[in-house]
Amino acid sequence: MDLQIKNLLKTFDGFVALDRITLNVEEREFVCLLGPSGCGKTTLLRIIAGLMPYDAGELLMGGRDLGTVPARDRGFGIVFQSYSLFPNMTVAQNIGYGLKIRKAPRDRIAARVGELLDLIKLPKVADRYPWQLSGGQQQRVALARALAVDPSLILLDEPLSALDARVRADLRTEIRDVQRRLGIPTIMVTHDQEEALTLADKVVCMNHGLIEQVGTPQDLYLRPRTRFVADFMGSSNLLPTAWVRETMPHLMPGRPDGAENAFEACVRPERVAVTPAPDADGRVIDLTFLGNIRRLRLSWRGRELLAETNRDPGVEPGAAVDVSVAADACAWVRA
Amino acid sequence: MTAPSLALTDKTRPRRASRPLDERLLFGACVLVPVVALVLFFLLPLATIVWRSVTEESGGIGVANYLALFRTPGILRAVGNSLLVGTATTAVCLVLGFAVAYAAQRTRVPGKRFVAAALSLPLLAPSLVLGLGLIFLLGRNGLVSNLLGVRLNIYGFPGLLIANVLYALPQAVLIIQAALRQSDARYYDAAEVMGATRLQQFLGITLPNVKFGLLSAGFVVFTVTITDFGNAVTIGGDFSVLATEIYNQVTGQMKFGIGAAVGILLLLPTGIAVYIERVAAQRQFGTASESALPPVPDRLPMRDIPLFLVTMTLALSIAAVVATVVFASVVRLWPYRLDFTTKHYAITLSGGYDPLWTSLGVSAATAGIGTVLLFALVLGLRRMPPGLAKAVYLLAVLPVGVPGLVLGLSYIFAFNLAGTPLHMLYGTALLLALCNFYHYHTQGFLTMVTGMRAVPAALEEAAGCLGGGVLRVLGDVVVPVMVPTLLSVFFFLFMRSMVTLSAIIFLVSPSTNLAAVTVMRLDEAGFVSQAAAFSTCIMAAVAAAALAMRGALALAGRRKAA
Ligand SMILES: Nc1ncnc2c1ncn2[C@@H]1O[C@H](COP(=O)(O)OP(=O)(O)OP(=O)(O)O)[C@@H](O)[C@H]1O
Ligand SMILES: [Mg+2]
Repeated sequence: MDLQIKNLLKTFDGFVALDRITLNVEEREFVCLLGPSGCGKTTLLRIIAGLMPYDAGELLMGGRDLGTVPARDRGFGIVFQSYSLFPNMTVAQNIGYGLKIRKAPRDRIAARVGELLDLIKLPKVADRYPWQLSGGQQQRVALARALAVDPSLILLDEPLSALDARVRADLRTEIRDVQRRLGIPTIMVTHDQEEALTLADKVVCMNHGLIEQVGTPQDLYLRPRTRFVADFMGSSNLLPTAWVRETMPHLMPGRPDGAENAFEACVRPERVAVTPAPDADGRVIDLTFLGNIRRLRLSWRGRELLAETNRDPGVEPGAAVDVSVAADACAWVRA
Repeated sequence: MTAPSLALTDKTRPRRASRPLDERLLFGACVLVPVVALVLFFLLPLATIVWRSVTEESGGIGVANYLALFRTPGILRAVGNSLLVGTATTAVCLVLGFAVAYAAQRTRVPGKRFVAAALSLPLLAPSLVLGLGLIFLLGRNGLVSNLLGVRLNIYGFPGLLIANVLYALPQAVLIIQAALRQSDARYYDAAEVMGATRLQQFLGITLPNVKFGLLSAGFVVFTVTITDFGNAVTIGGDFSVLATEIYNQVTGQMKFGIGAAVGILLLLPTGIAVYIERVAAQRQFGTASESALPPVPDRLPMRDIPLFLVTMTLALSIAAVVATVVFASVVRLWPYRLDFTTKHYAITLSGGYDPLWTSLGVSAATAGIGTVLLFALVLGLRRMPPGLAKAVYLLAVLPVGVPGLVLGLSYIFAFNLAGTPLHMLYGTALLLALCNFYHYHTQGFLTMVTGMRAVPAALEEAAGCLGGGVLRVLGDVVVPVMVPTLLSVFFFLFMRSMVTLSAIIFLVSPSTNLAAVTVMRLDEAGFVSQAAAFSTCIMAAVAAAALAMRGALALAGRRKAA
């Protein structure tokens, strides 16, 4: 089943938290809500879950209006950032809780719990209490609990953000695998752009209660439409039109029509090619070694540019370099 | 070890920066004095009562005293009655206490402040004030009997039950409310999304999570009830209970051995209660994490209207009972002639208001001595090796497990021994003050420990590195941060000491009579209006102390902010 959100409006005492959001989540799709703190991601998720009322708009699941359906009848699964396992229940009881509520027979619950524990690769923790698990294990159990009732939609609110980097990466792939295997449409909130890029079929980039752009990870990275998206998804060189016209006229044909200040060129640092040349007009300001890549700050024709390369550029700070950007390396974004 | 090798080790030993001598002496004394006092005025009496309970009349050692319990019919009946009233009070208090705590913590029922204020009234007065007020309202010559023209009989089980419930309820509410506070909105969000109804959430999440809170509230109520003295005396009538019976055995019939044996038995329920409390503290699942989101109180008429009615009724009852006592103290003849008079304030019992002044003096001494000793102890504990500190900590929290009744009894055994140096203290106001202090030692100690945690160790070290001496650091860093805590502990000890009856009832003498005891004597002698007047004076004094504390705390807060 698919989820359709149409013109969803939510205000808190006059403060607009969600400004007429429109969004579709297709069957089997993994959607990431991405945006800075306070942009309304959690609010949107809670409204979809039915935990919060909304002011106007429509919420349709498989064509059915969810507006009047209380959270407990929506049949969704939800995982929070942390600390949401019932502390008074064992792992098995936690996972089986939803089925127990639905009055499933006891042996069916036990079988399902076993199955899910295998799925999350924690077959031996059934009788432990949440406080006896590590943070990563707790989040797996929370995922299993959400999956137990065969939800028609899974909602994840920053499920990985309380974990350390290593566990986060592992769990990320696991969530992705499970979701692929079961094909349940999933919405995940995150403010980690790397997480969104690796997991999502579709990334929804939000800012101040508005959707800035929706698209595949490639779309958002390679073809950002606004300055905010370009900036939020990794680093970029944002260049004013006048300067581009003067220094890199070959990028101009791609520019949409509009006022001089309406658009800027976005060039990702890895698309800035740097070649040492003794009499070139670019200068290396400094050079940072980041393991797999090297980052260079350049001064070129009155601007500072960022370039990245995964090979040793063979230059020192102060060296003269030639700078070039391919015609297809530029995306024009609304300023 | 030979001399040369010593010299060698001296040279090669890693030099630990040792504290200056005066500092070590100071902190040593800080711990030593309170610990010696704890041993003398807590452990020693306790050991004596154990000893006396196994000392037979013939002088030998044995369990004769315990066996004698079973052969003393009065005692057996009293045990039965105590268990009955204790169990009933506990059951009622748990149900009502949960309702009040739940209403306060998880709903938006109006009137919460009023309920909280009314519930704090019993803590300001000796327990028997509630018994007294109930008699004024529901007794044979009470308001209701008079209005309805029937003669209600409140004395005995029903009256004792009501009085005990009103007295113990505030304590139950505090504990259950604290347990309810430890939750997270996300448990309920998750359950909601998983399809659980309100009722299922309540039964599956709310109740199991306050299990330990309820358990510990239950034991506290039970213990308070079976060891409370005041209500049993005022409203118990012929319904004899353990507390009154033990008092009769000891002070009336001089059967000290039996008294000691009962005292030891009374340690059992509190012992269990304290143990559960500790276990609960550790097992309170998912201890409050910093990032917990408290559940948002909401409205639900089906639940809130009954809750509102129950909590309001309770609060109004408590307020009415206490107000009646005050009112009855200023009318000519309650409830028949209600014209205003102050004649009941002329106390006819010998001594007049002397006991009130004694009480104030004793309470001030309790608070003063207690605050100083506790501060010293906690200060010293910070600088002790962890193992030793743990042992001292354990000793310091032990007194909470000993009911006042047992402590009072044990003081008789320990200090009423002619020929020992400690006998000098017997019958003095100082001993009363010490008894009160050790009665409430644990609560004061824990408050002090919590307060001391707020003193940043780094700040202390920084001040030390800047060249400040110990006293300098204490005065400039520790004391300023600790002022609110010191005030709280001081006034807590003062207020408790003003109203407690169960321990000191065994220790008062005609020259050192205390206020709460006087109320009891006045009531026994039939001067109920004067008892009400005297109670009113006590409540006024305690309320004034409570106000003074608020004022002082506000002042301290303002000074800090400035
Ligand atoms: N119950 C509430 N009452 C009033 N304002 C609220 C409430 N909940 C959220 N807001 C406001 O709505 C805005 C969006 O909040 P939301 O929790 O959705 O942010 P978020 O994108 O999830 O942020 P984060 O990444 O920090 O979790 C914020 O400005 C927040 O202050
Ligand atoms: Mg959020």
